[in-house]
Amino acid sequence: MKRILKTAAPVLLLLAAATLASPALAARSKPWEKIKTPALGEIRLPDYQRVQLDNGMVLYLAEDHELPMIELSATIRAGQIYEPEGKTGLAALTGEVLRSGGTASWSGDEIDEKMESLGAMVETYVGEYTAGAYLSALTEDADTALAVLAEILRSPRFAEDKLDLAKTQHKAGIARRNDEPMSIARREFSRVILGPDHPLARNEEYDTLAAIARQDLADFHADWFGPDRTYLVVIGDFDAAAMTGKIEAAFADWPAARRPLPADPVAPDLPRTVNVASKDDLTQSTVILGHKGIRNDDPHYAGIEVANRILGGGFASRLFNEVRSARGLAYSTGSASGTGWRQPGVFVAFAGTKSESTEQAAAVMIEQIEKMTREPVSAEELRTAVDGILNSDVFNYDSKREVLDRMVLFEMNGYPADFLTGYRAAVQAMTAEQVLEASRAVWKPERLSVLAVGNPADFDGDLSRFGAVNTIDITIPEPKLTLEIPAATPESLAAGQKLLDRAAAAVGGRKLADMKGFATKQTLAAEIQGMSLNITMETTIVLPDRLKLIQKLPFGESTQVLDGEKGWVQSPMGVQDIEGADVAKMRDQIQGDMLMLLRDHSGRTCQALPAEELDGKLCERVYITDENGDYTLMFLDAATGLPVMEQSKGEAPMTGEPVTQKVKYDSYKDFGGVQRPATFTILFDDEVFATGQTTSFTLNPTVAAGFFAKP
Amino acid sequence: MSAIRKTLVTAAVLALALGAVAASAEGYQDLKEQVREFTLPNGIHFIVLERHDVPVFSFNTYVSVGSAQEVTGITGIAHILEHMAFKGTAEIGTTDAKKEAQAMKAEDAAFAALKAERLKGDRADPARLAELEQAFTDAKDAARAFVVSNEFGQIVENNGGRGMNAGTGTDDTSYMYSLPSNRLELWAYLEGTRMSRPVLREFYTEKDGPVTEERRMRTENSPIGMLVEQFQNLAFMAHPYHHSTIGWMTDLNTITREDCETFYRTHYVGRNMTVAVVGDVDFDEVKRLAGKYFTGVSSAEPPVIETFDAPQKGERRMVIEDESQPFYICGYHIGNWAHADAAVYDAIADILGQGRTSRLYERLVKQDKSAVQAFSFAGFPGDKYPTLLAVLGMPAKDVTAEQLEAAVLEEIQKLVDGGVTEQELAGVKRRARANFVRSLEGNMGLAAQLSEYQGKQGDWRLMFEQLAAIDAVTVEDVQRVAGEVFVPNNRTVAFIKTVEAAN
Repeated sequence: MKRILKTAAPVLLLLAAATLASPALAARSKPWEKIKTPALGEIRLPDYQRVQLDNGMVLYLAEDHELPMIELSATIRAGQIYEPEGKTGLAALTGEVLRSGGTASWSGDEIDEKMESLGAMVETYVGEYTAGAYLSALTEDADTALAVLAEILRSPRFAEDKLDLAKTQHKAGIARRNDEPMSIARREFSRVILGPDHPLARNEEYDTLAAIARQDLADFHADWFGPDRTYLVVIGDFDAAAMTGKIEAAFADWPAARRPLPADPVAPDLPRTVNVASKDDLTQSTVILGHKGIRNDDPHYAGIEVANRILGGGFASRLFNEVRSARGLAYSTGSASGTGWRQPGVFVAFAGTKSESTEQAAAVMIEQIEKMTREPVSAEELRTAVDGILNSDVFNYDSKREVLDRMVLFEMNGYPADFLTGYRAAVQAMTAEQVLEASRAVWKPERLSVLAVGNPADFDGDLSRFGAVNTIDITIPEPKLTLEIPAATPESLAAGQKLLDRAAAAVGGRKLADMKGFATKQTLAAEIQGMSLNITMETTIVLPDRLKLIQKLPFGESTQVLDGEKGWVQSPMGVQDIEGADVAKMRDQIQGDMLMLLRDHSGRTCQALPAEELDGKLCERVYITDENGDYTLMFLDAATGLPVMEQSKGEAPMTGEPVTQKVKYDSYKDFGGVQRPATFTILFDDEVFATGQTTSFTLNPTVAAGFFAKP
Repeated sequence: MSAIRKTLVTAAVLALALGAVAASAEGYQDLKEQVREFTLPNGIHFIVLERHDVPVFSFNTYVSVGSAQEVTGITGIAHILEHMAFKGTAEIGTTDAKKEAQAMKAEDAAFAALKAERLKGDRADPARLAELEQAFTDAKDAARAFVVSNEFGQIVENNGGRGMNAGTGTDDTSYMYSLPSNRLELWAYLEGTRMSRPVLREFYTEKDGPVTEERRMRTENSPIGMLVEQFQNLAFMAHPYHHSTIGWMTDLNTITREDCETFYRTHYVGRNMTVAVVGDVDFDEVKRLAGKYFTGVSSAEPPVIETFDAPQKGERRMVIEDESQPFYICGYHIGNWAHADAAVYDAIADILGQGRTSRLYERLVKQDKSAVQAFSFAGFPGDKYPTLLAVLGMPAKDVTAEQLEAAVLEEIQKLVDGGVTEQELAGVKRRARANFVRSLEGNMGLAAQLSEYQGKQGDWRLMFEQLAAIDAVTVEDVQRVAGEVFVPNNRTVAFIKTVEAAN
């Protein structure tokens, strides 16, 4: 907040700066070149030990007694790539609630207190491809912190209230995700590059969060976390042998992960797309170009790293010279080579620019990339890039943590421990021809996808010169299926039961309690895709488990029957059996009927919510949930106790899309001592789908023999 | 049941904490004894800490000049000068320094003429304006013909430099990077010459391009950035903490190279500079090279700030209406780093809003779930001069800043009325110790800390004494200071109120 640090400013993660050497250089005196450079002192690998425990866990340990601290980091092969579709956010939530939700012995709040009072840190996360944990503590607190960390990884509690808290925070994140242009660019670019179906490109939404339950976190942890896929790096003020013993004891009984490691999802090779994400209050644009790159064991790895330093990765880079300095097009620009340790990386070139130079910035970047694949780089550029890489090599060894983390990285991803030695040799021997060859092999200008985030009204062009423009809608989808429900208390649960008792009394009292079944006839006037349809529905229910539903439409009639265990359906297409999940659905249809809910609600969770006004009527509200997590929100007339509206999850009639279904009971009529809605309205996502009437209702009907029999 | 368990845990923690004072003091005492220092005749103070594990070193040049040294008309100039310090010298970054100097003079004259016409506002002659714009563009191009742009950065990079960066704040400007240790003399040449004789080339291009766009990115295009700037504008009226480090847009438009050169000559003097070098270096060699390359820096006396705010007489509030999500800030005036209660401010900020057990986090984030972040700290926007204890809150979805404020003020009042517990204060002291030890890791971090303590507070040893000050804070101190600071008349509030887009 206080300082303006240069690195905090530029777009994306990359550095940027520089220009080409000017041709007039020859005559200049360059005093700095005359300064003597003595031989560099010896670079020694830090002393370390690698130990593999019986449970499979791999430890890298290095003692360092300069400061009275220990630092431990765990890397686990568990990541967002294993997240199931429809539950986007599960991996990140697992990473957060792992720490905040407490363990078998301590609640999350107790751990907070323990750690903060020691000035110690224990943190966990789940990232894209790996999960991890981090510990930092004064030497004398190391044992306490290690015990906590081990228990977090082995036996997390995933407390429900901390999951709720984490979800609250994620929801705020969703609401804020379009406030800063960089967050839009980062999110949308990964969708552009990976395609919408890749697990790492899916967006977290209110509804995907709502679909995540505590058990999902527990399963994600049990499925993917285990000592057999965990690597620890431990550095600091300890004795390595003693520390190994402590770690071994702390993790001895941690069971292996439940599921075998699947293959990583593969990013598709996509053709170019041109994309604009519009935010009309911006005065600047973020322009990103990119396509899938290579893994670091590709033969062109060294070549493309050198090439990228020349294109946009360093102070002598062409992008900086052309896009920023010479043309003043951008305030930040640069590129990333497109290499990755585990999966192929993403080749990226970017610029932050005024709205008025958006298209030009993209065009100049593409032109510069094309040039890299067309002609060899100059001898001067090559020398500068190679010197820079070789001279900074010592910084690969300047922190023990960096050295050991790299060893873990290499071991996990199948690289030899001396990978950097080979890389250095390849860079040293690099020729301009090899750089050209690597650029041609890895960078494909015609495949570069384009993303611009900004205000297109002020752009200098519509970007169609690069291809058909796809406009990305960044509108945040409103929650469709979720309700904000406060945590239940014993009082609110008791009050909920009471309210439903009162409603049952109002609807039918004793008659309802003694009900054995009913038959009713209703007519519906529905709007389906612009057509008006009149439908008649005849429903007969005989408790506990028999149902017959006859629907008459202008173009035909269908009958569905559940006869205890078995079901069938008859339509103009013939007779078919109803099986499996569809039988359960029909059973739910019986149990979910309003009369059934009111008659016996003791087995359900019924939570009273604060009263609310609905269509001018003050309504008590009860939130009813069953063991499947399905809910009904019942609005009851505060004056009469009669149901005014029922809200629940439903399916859109044609598409089957999940929708919020509301049924409003507009007026009631007495049918032999039972109150039934004379008129009612059905809404899907707050749009009227149908209006209906109850034309007849018979309590405890007499059913002819064979009434439920299959024809 | 759980209350008893809590007390036991805390008792054990206290015992540990007391035991630890003696134990962990040992670790960094060695480090303190290895620090050596010298001062050049022009006033630049050098601090050297030899660490020979790996053949690399880092440095931090701390210049005790920030946006607080700016006056109206040249706000943002400290930050512009920081950008200009990467443009090189008469030797670095140019093909012909003499011809370039002439071309830059012509460029300055062209800008002065253009600026005069622009300042006529509506009465400016459009034809004349266009003519002057063209002349200015031509003059810029003529000067740029001599530029070898970013040569300074290229030299550092080609020699293996890492982490090249700089930062400007209200109080100071810092420059830093790391090099292989066989490049010590190259470093002394590069740093010494740019601090002594920088050439402010590409001045207008840099100011109107990257610097101006950085302002846009931080304010116009960032709702929270905009809020923070306006909060600062409101909280300080007389003292230069009033304006943000990035500067007013109109000042950025009109500042000249001459303004910047004057600012450099006035403030980049030896007495304002501290250079810390940490790593695989030899003290005597650093001393020799400093004498060779840093003597060109001016030995003039730097000016001091004389204007300060009068005591605040009533709460100040502002509301930004924006389409973005809500955000809340409030601040209370407190003393600077040298104030007798400085450590108490830190303790209050820590207990109120730092970490997962802080009162604001417990109440707003964990209990009410009305905020996703709640944070407080002492020393916004700086701490060299009387400053603010600030509280920031990011409301949860569908919660407004006003709703958050009610709970924030309630928690602050609880602190005033009920004070803090011994346990809370013990936690503060323990965290301060652990964080201090963490801050000693790495050459770069050490160089930054040593130079800042020396540059701002006059003695790097205070860095090692900060813990004693925190350890001396009592619960009575906390309640006394909370009562003095947290009064409504001393409060400034700014927040974002979310409104629908006006179409």
